Amino acid sequence: MTATTSADARQTPPDPVPGSASRRLSGMLPGLLLVAPALTAIGLLYAAPLVRSLVTAFVGADGTFTFANLEKALEFYGADILFSILVTLASLALIAATSIAIAGYLTLGQSRWAVPLLRWMYRWPLFIPFIVAGQTARSFLARNGMLNTLLADAGVLDAAAAQSLLDWRGLVLTFAWKQVPFVTLLLAGAMASLDRSTIEAARNLGASRLRCLFEIVLPQVRPQLFVALVLSLVTLLSVLSVPVMLISGNPTMMTAMMAHRVTYYGDYAVANALGLFSYLLTAAAAWAYLRMSLKEKANP
Amino acid sequence: MGTEALSLEGVSIRLGKTLVLDRISLEVPAGSFTCLLGPSGCGKTTLLRSIAGFAPLAAGDIKVGGNSIATLAPEARQTAMVFQSYALWPHMSVAGNLTYPLKLRGLPKAEREKRANAILSLLGLEGYGPRAVTSLSGGQRQRVALGRALIIDPPLLLLDEPLSNLDASIRRSLRGELRRLQQKVGITTIMVTHDQDEALAMADRIVLMRDGQIVQVAGPEDLYSAPADLGAAQFLGVDNVLAVAPDDPAAQGATLVGFRTEDARVFTDDMEHPDAPALARKGKVTTCAYAGGGYQVGIDVAGESLSACSARPVSPGDDALLSVPASMLMSFDANTRLLQGIRH
Repeated sequence: MTATTSADARQTPPDPVPGSASRRLSGMLPGLLLVAPALTAIGLLYAAPLVRSLVTAFVGADGTFTFANLEKALEFYGADILFSILVTLASLALIAATSIAIAGYLTLGQSRWAVPLLRWMYRWPLFIPFIVAGQTARSFLARNGMLNTLLADAGVLDAAAAQSLLDWRGLVLTFAWKQVPFVTLLLAGAMASLDRSTIEAARNLGASRLRCLFEIVLPQVRPQLFVALVLSLVTLLSVLSVPVMLISGNPTMMTAMMAHRVTYYGDYAVANALGLFSYLLTAAAAWAYLRMSLKEKANP
Repeated sequence: MGTEALSLEGVSIRLGKTLVLDRISLEVPAGSFTCLLGPSGCGKTTLLRSIAGFAPLAAGDIKVGGNSIATLAPEARQTAMVFQSYALWPHMSVAGNLTYPLKLRGLPKAEREKRANAILSLLGLEGYGPRAVTSLSGGQRQRVALGRALIIDPPLLLLDEPLSNLDASIRRSLRGELRRLQQKVGITTIMVTHDQDEALAMADRIVLMRDGQIVQVAGPEDLYSAPADLGAAQFLGVDNVLAVAPDDPAAQGATLVGFRTEDARVFTDDMEHPDAPALARKGKVTTCAYAGGGYQVGIDVAGESLSACSARPVSPGDDALLSVPASMLMSFDANTRLLQGIRH
C-alpha cells in the first residue's frame, strides 16, 4: 500500500500550492475586466458585422449555402471589379511617384524658399473630405470645367477638341490628389529620420541628388512607403462619394455598385459578395506587406 | 588621380548670424597628414565639411591642386570623406558599399569587384564582401568606411573624428593602422579630432583651432612643447598654472608659469629633495590617488590647487614640496602669450 502511494507520487508530482489554478484565474480577473470593454466593442462593432457580411455572401434566399451570390456578382459586376483593381493600381502608381518626388525634394532640395513652401502646402488636401474633393474634381475636370478652360485660354488646347476627364482618369487624379499628402507625410517623415550622413556620404563619393534619392534614400524607406500604399489601397477601395460623383454609368468602382445593389434592390447578398472581393484585395496587400516585414526582420 | 595639396584662402562661414569660421587660411602640403584639433564647437568639423562642400562659404576660396572647388557641388569635388557615424549604406553589403562609388563612375563590374577585393585585403577584411554591413563590429565598419573612401583614389581624404565611436583599445590599434595606411597610400589627409593624444600620435602637422579661428599650426612635438598661448597650453594638458614668484626659473618678463602634472614631483620631509634648478612650492597634500605606476597627488599651495606625481603614496594633510624642473616649465606673459616653452 505504501509502495503504491509513493509510486503514484513519483508519477504525478503534487500540486505545489493547492488550488493554484483557481488562484491564477482570479489573478487574471482584473486584467480580463480591463480589456473586456475594448474586446466587446471590437467584437460587436467590427468582428460580428464583418463575419455576418462574409457569411451572407454565401447564403441564398432560401437560407442554404450557395455560391450563386458570388457568381452573380462576377457576372453582373466583373467589369467593375476589374475596373476597381486597375483604377486603384493606377492611382497607387501615381500616388507613389508623386509622393516620392515631393518627399525626395523635401529631403534633398536646397532651395531656401521652395522647400519650406512645399512643406507648408503639400498637406492641405489631408484636411479636405473625399466628398468635397469629388465635388471640386467634378467642376475642375468636366468638359467645360476649369482645367479645359484654362488650357484653352492658354492656347494649349482647342476648345472644340476638349474632352471630359470624368472617367477613370478623373478617379485616378482625384484619388491621387487626396492620398498623396498622406503618403508623403509618412515618407518624408521616414526620410527625415534617416542618418543624414548616409546621404552626404553618397553625394561626397559622387552621387547626384537624383541618384541619391533612388539608390540611397528610397531603398532605406521602402517599408514605410509600402505601409503608406497599403493603407491608401484600403482607403481607395472604401471611398464611395468620389466614384458616385465622378462616374455616370459603367464600369465604376465596386463601392458604387455595392451601394447601388443595396439601395435599389435591397440585395445584401450580392453586395456582400462584392465586398468579399474588396476584402480579398486588401488581404492580398496585407499579406504581401506582412511577408516583406517578416523577411526584413529575419535579415536586418 | 594622385594626391594633391589643399589651400584655404580666407574661408568664412556663417550659420544664421553666427560667424562659425572667421577668415581661415591654411596650406596643406600634398601627401601630408594634418589634424584639425580643438574643443567642441571650435569650427573644426565645419571647416572639414566646407572642404567637402556641405557648408557653403560666406567668403574665401578653397583650392585643390591649384583649382578652385569652392563653387562645385559636393559630388563634383572628388574629396572622399569618412564620417564619425561611418555612414555606411545599410541596404548594401560590404562589397556593395565599396563598389557603389565605382558604379557611380561607370566602371565595369569586373573592375569594380577587382578593386573591392584589393581594398578588402588592404584593410585585412578578406572574405567580408558578401556580409551585411549591419553585422560588422564598430572597428570593421570604420575600416569599410575608410575603404569606401579610398577606393575612388581621391586627391584628398577627409576624416571626421573617425575613431571617436570606438573602444579605447581598438582606437589605439586603428590609430597606428590608419597612419600606416595613409603613409602607404601617400594621400593628403585631413582629420578632425578633439583628442590631443590622437592628434599628437598621428599627424605630421596639427592645426589648433579655437572659436572659429586658427590658433597655431605646428608639428606635434612643437605644439606639445611650445603651445602659442595659455589657452592652447591648457587644451594640450598643461593643467597647472601659477603666478611667477621672484626666485622662479621662468623666462624674462613672464607673469605666469604652467606645467603638466606628469612633469611635477611631490616630496615630503622624509624624501630626498632634488638639486637641479627647479620651481619649488611648499604646500599641503589634499589628495593622493593611485594612477598606475605612480601616484597623482593634489597639493594646496597658498590656496591654489595644483597636482603632481609621486613614486610613493603620501598622506593627505602632510606638508610637502612641489618641484618642477626648470626645463619643463612654460612661461607666459601678461597677455598669456607663450614666452618660453619646454626645453628638451
